[in-house]
Amino acid sequence: MRPTNGNPPSTNGASLELRDVVKTYVMGADTVHALRGVSLDIHRNEYVAVMGPSGSGKSTLMNVIGCLDVPTSGTYALEGQMVATMSEYQLADIRNQRIGFVFQTFNLIPRSNIFHNVELPLIYAGVAKSKRRERVESAIDRVGLANRIKHKPNELSGGQRQRVAIARALVGNPSIILADEPTGNLDSKTGDEIMALLDELHAAGQTIILVTHEDYIAEHAHRIIRLRDGIIESDQVVSRRTG
Amino acid sequence: MRWRIDLEESLAIALSALRANKARGVLTTLGIIIGIVAVIMTMTAAHGLQSAFRQSFSAVGSDVIYVSRFPWIIMNDFFLYRNRPPMDLHDADELAARLKGKAIVNPTMGGQQDVKYLNETMDGVSIVGTTEKRTLVASGQADKGHFLTDFEVQYKKNVCVIGTDIEKALFKGTDPLGKELKIGRATFRVVGVMEKQGGGFLGGPSLDRQIYVPITSYIRAYGGKRLDVNLGVKARTQEGLDDLEYEVIGQMRTIRGLRPNEKDDFSINKLDTLVGAFDNVMGVVLLVGLLITSISLFVGGVGVMNVMFVSVTERTREIGIRKAIGAKPHSILFQFLFESAAICLTGGFIGIAIASLLTAVLNATVMPASVSPGILLTAVVVAVAVGGIAGLMPALKGARMNPVDALRYE
Repeated sequence: MRPTNGNPPSTNGASLELRDVVKTYVMGADTVHALRGVSLDIHRNEYVAVMGPSGSGKSTLMNVIGCLDVPTSGTYALEGQMVATMSEYQLADIRNQRIGFVFQTFNLIPRSNIFHNVELPLIYAGVAKSKRRERVESAIDRVGLANRIKHKPNELSGGQRQRVAIARALVGNPSIILADEPTGNLDSKTGDEIMALLDELHAAGQTIILVTHEDYIAEHAHRIIRLRDGIIESDQVVSRRTG
Repeated sequence: MRWRIDLEESLAIALSALRANKARGVLTTLGIIIGIVAVIMTMTAAHGLQSAFRQSFSAVGSDVIYVSRFPWIIMNDFFLYRNRPPMDLHDADELAARLKGKAIVNPTMGGQQDVKYLNETMDGVSIVGTTEKRTLVASGQADKGHFLTDFEVQYKKNVCVIGTDIEKALFKGTDPLGKELKIGRATFRVVGVMEKQGGGFLGGPSLDRQIYVPITSYIRAYGGKRLDVNLGVKARTQEGLDDLEYEVIGQMRTIRGLRPNEKDDFSINKLDTLVGAFDNVMGVVLLVGLLITSISLFVGGVGVMNVMFVSVTERTREIGIRKAIGAKPHSILFQFLFESAAICLTGGFIGIAIASLLTAVLNATVMPASVSPGILLTAVVVAVAVGGIAGLMPALKGARMNPVDALRYE
């Protein structure tokens, strides 16, 4: 039995619980039903791929999970905290402290160097300058870019930029890393390197949610959720390929 | 602590944004500079006019009380004064006697007459009937010959002392002493020429275009019915002007035979009264001037607002990124507010520098003018306020952006 709309979700230890999440947009005269009732639990250290054709609602689902957007109806609890009713300020804090975003287009601040880009979440979290340096350097070190710390994003290759984005996602010790088509703008070799990095983070205990439309990328995950027309079409655990 | 870290970041972004768009920043600042210069110059010019005015009236003497039938400044209340009995030389003598040892009383009266010497004429020259005490009460001494004497006043001699402008216009370099002038219907002999005194700036009386004659001769020549003598009263000792004023009022009431419940039928005039009235006029002039110059500042502010809207729009995606990783609306708000405030503050300081330079030029050429700390403070406050107001709407637009839409913006 799933709880009905409006009831708090059961606390079953999942780090992320969505119940009957509906999202509708009004675009001009049309109403777009992006999500038509999605219920989903994702547990700590899961590695989930969300797949679906364009228009299936996967971007909307990502925005809801990433607290960039709130559902029209339904509930969403992130580590027991009800997100749907939060204010803009609370959502900003949640994004800052619980979510690490990795975007297809990297989304680095072009005028800032690598250090500052990675430092930014800590600045918005209010971490004192003396404590920021060490955390920023260790995050950059973890993605293997310690020698590029003073470079600007446009001085780096695509793969390196995505590594910076991953470092920025990691630096605040988030509950979830949300990677939206992280290899979409990269060649396949570089893409593989980025996926290897994500696999490594997962192996170290990180919860990762991946949005992709490429099967071979999705195969890195341990669970694949397929969306179609705003509802979950399938949700299956996959056995990890060997070799 | 958290706020401070946030604001530091906002400031850093604002400054780097300005560095990234130097030409745009400079052009926008130009609008503010022009506005600030206009506002400061209006204020210093009004200030300068005021001190020029004070200077030109300094001959009246700020330590002298003038007792007259009418106040110097009559707005719409002439009917209150028109029935007052005239002031005559008897009043002057009485007051002088009662204040003996304490103050000097010098009666004057005046009017305008045409002056003629041989074929040269001057129209509407100010003729002042006065006594030998004038030189004790007001500034200005005779340069050639001598000023009016006790004897000349007492015996109603038709003699006169002329200002330097009169000398120049009528005598053309020849010696005026001993020559006879036709002043109105009467003939006066020149016994002295005053030193050059200046004045005449902006409605102040030109002291060099006056002719002094004994008040007794004046009354005989032009007096008629309208005997209105002004009494200049100057304390002999350095006692307070206020004390002297009370004493003069008391004595005048006695002289004029007023009962305690009657109002004064004379007026006490001081330089302060005149200056006060001028200050009121200048206040209005300043207000109108500021209103007009504010328009240029307003236009500058609109320019800043326009640029800030552009800045917010072209950084929509950056706003989305920052919001996605946890920037609060106020961080974004201050990022843009700081940017516009920096533009306006820079404009303000450059404006102050230029205005100070222009003021120095003005001071050296046209009139006394100086930039006061109050004016500078006003300029800085106004610049920051314009920056804040011009930046607020664009900054709010940025702060309120939905992160999803902002991230998707191309």
